[in-house]
Amino acid sequence: MNIAGMGIVFSRGRGVAALEQALQQGWVAPSEVEVRGLTNRLSVYAVSSETLADKTVLAKARRADRFVRMSVLAASDAVQDSGLSGKLDKKRLGVIIATALGPHVTTFNFLDGIIDFGDAAVSPTAFSHSVHNAAASYVAMTLDVRGPTLTMTHFHFAFHEALLLAGAWLQEKRCDAVLVGAVDELGAVMEYACGQKSRPAKDGRIRPFAFSSSPETVPGEGSVFFLLTGEPAGAAYADVVSGVFEPGASPVSAGLMLPDNFGMSGDESRYRDAVAGVARAASYVPVFGSIMTGSAFHAAAGALVLKRQMCYACPVQDNPHGVNICRETVAGPVDNVVCLRLDCRGHGKTICLKH
Amino acid sequence: MGAVSAAGGDISETLECFAAGRRNLGKVTLFPSSLDYPVFEVHRPLNGPVRYKSRTIQLVLAALDEALAGARLDRNMSGRRVGVCMGTTVASQLNDIDFYQSYRRDGAAPMEPVKSFLKGNLAEVVAAEVQASGPAVTVVNACSSSADAIGAALSWIRGGICDLVIAGGGDELNRIPLCGFGSLSVFSHKPCRPYDRDREGLNLGEGAGVLVLESEESARMRGAMSDVFVAGYGAACDAHHLTAPRPDGSGLEAAVQHSLREAGIQPPEVCFVNAHGTATRDNDKVEGNVLARVFGLDAKVLSTKGYTGHTLGAAGALEAIFTALALREGWIPASAGFENKDDEIPIGAVREKTAVAGQYAVSTSLAFGGNNASLVIGRRT
Repeated sequence: MNIAGMGIVFSRGRGVAALEQALQQGWVAPSEVEVRGLTNRLSVYAVSSETLADKTVLAKARRADRFVRMSVLAASDAVQDSGLSGKLDKKRLGVIIATALGPHVTTFNFLDGIIDFGDAAVSPTAFSHSVHNAAASYVAMTLDVRGPTLTMTHFHFAFHEALLLAGAWLQEKRCDAVLVGAVDELGAVMEYACGQKSRPAKDGRIRPFAFSSSPETVPGEGSVFFLLTGEPAGAAYADVVSGVFEPGASPVSAGLMLPDNFGMSGDESRYRDAVAGVARAASYVPVFGSIMTGSAFHAAAGALVLKRQMCYACPVQDNPHGVNICRETVAGPVDNVVCLRLDCRGHGKTICLKH
Repeated sequence: MGAVSAAGGDISETLECFAAGRRNLGKVTLFPSSLDYPVFEVHRPLNGPVRYKSRTIQLVLAALDEALAGARLDRNMSGRRVGVCMGTTVASQLNDIDFYQSYRRDGAAPMEPVKSFLKGNLAEVVAAEVQASGPAVTVVNACSSSADAIGAALSWIRGGICDLVIAGGGDELNRIPLCGFGSLSVFSHKPCRPYDRDREGLNLGEGAGVLVLESEESARMRGAMSDVFVAGYGAACDAHHLTAPRPDGSGLEAAVQHSLREAGIQPPEVCFVNAHGTATRDNDKVEGNVLARVFGLDAKVLSTKGYTGHTLGAAGALEAIFTALALREGWIPASAGFENKDDEIPIGAVREKTAVAGQYAVSTSLAFGGNNASLVIGRRT
């Protein structure tokens, strides 16, 4: 399956150019927010309202929330980026969206209505937008997608499963192309929960190669979409497949390994063995922040590595275990990139990208 | 197959309820609410592990036990290529009002509901319960969630990704959708009347439906071939409105046609349609016109929501199961609540228990977001 186009919305902006610039620039300090209930300000990588100000693309999403807006912009950009906009048969185009937490800000807004006004006086708009598949619906309305649309959740592997299903849809000719995306958002309640349950990074730096048993986090948000086709087409970044990593399996062979430890799944020491001995590793998690569907963002970075044939320097280079990490941005042949995510039991999934 | 709903705590009770034409609806007893719409609650005891606080999970585990027993499988499926694909709406959201109210009021709240939520992804729970090591996905496609979950499972099996998939869905009766659908003014104060001229809206319900879907090769090797099977799945988006179906029904029609093509059959081979039939003005009008176009004016159509209420994320799976049961039994129940044909809908629903003879039937689902799904269920003769 081929990545024909890519769209991304994250704290550093929107679009492939913003992604490339961020990877070249490396780490920048996150913003800080006051979170009710937390004694210290929380560092976050939040998407700015300017990034989401596009009245043209969002014309059909005027009443929609940030969760929807991030999704619509990233999906629309993926189609534009592919150059296939006028060539896609919209009845044969599918949409699969992966999310860990869904539009929780709108869900809590809806709960505000129940608490403040009672069961009989809540907002129908808030309710209809609190449904997880609202984003897919707006993507379909904006792009006139008439094929199957599906939204799925999983706390560890949502994007991996979305890729797997997209591959099956293409293989069985259910679709000619599939827009596969991930989206997750920040919000006060989740930030509070994150502050309680995880260890916020005091200096705003996520340290992926520390492989800490109690890792530090900087919560992030955003959306990534790939336009996938069965055959190479459009901008053609890479071939992509979703795979499985069993505990105790041989180290994954990769031209560039991107471990997807992002600080929110507890003990990360289990990544150490999986990454030990790889030819080259990098982690761009400190660019995106801690996002439960962050594998999608890593896959986008990996696709750009292959397209540009450029290994971008790790944005945070603390490396106490001596992993062979990319310390500088260097041009050079990269045949494949593997993103590896492990769950709390050490079971894992990979996203393998090939040039 | 395993089914838990207000129509019955298992398949046998459900069939008995259908045959008797009994409608077990009443006032909300599960939580306090100022809304007094009638609902369909499940009253059987739910005895799943106490570590699962979610009623939705308890409903699903009850249906899972029945499905596994019917498939002659136990809960330890390690060593097999097993996937899990479950649909839901309520269980995907952290919508604990007490937790949120506490946070809002005090700036602090106990983290137990968050922990429970993070350990309560429906597919992850079921995968852990059966020790499945294949893909696990919770489909959150609103009211078509579990129909789409079955469709995804079919793709996994046909694509050689899994030999066996636990597919289906569940949703508990919950205050959030009760308030939400109430705000949309789609509830009826009376027992719902799908497809009827005088229908006033839907009744909310709860339940779970679980199917064990298995490749023919795997089932044959186990000596456990089922007489019913999923023959085809089609899905298409309206790209029209967040909560209203496309008036011309073209999305649903595309989904139905795709499912028939995938099953390799023509409309006359379908002996009945178990319609989504929510009893809202819009849904039934759009759906009824599509079914008339595709299957003709003599099509046998029913909606089982008159017995279960609208079970949201469970509806697609429950109705796929009811469809399979009807093929197996050779009859469909009266479409509860249907009396008078609507002039705006070219077809009516069946008024009484009706014999059906044939190999195939269709179950349709429409959802928020403009999702349309159609499943063709087959029976081996």
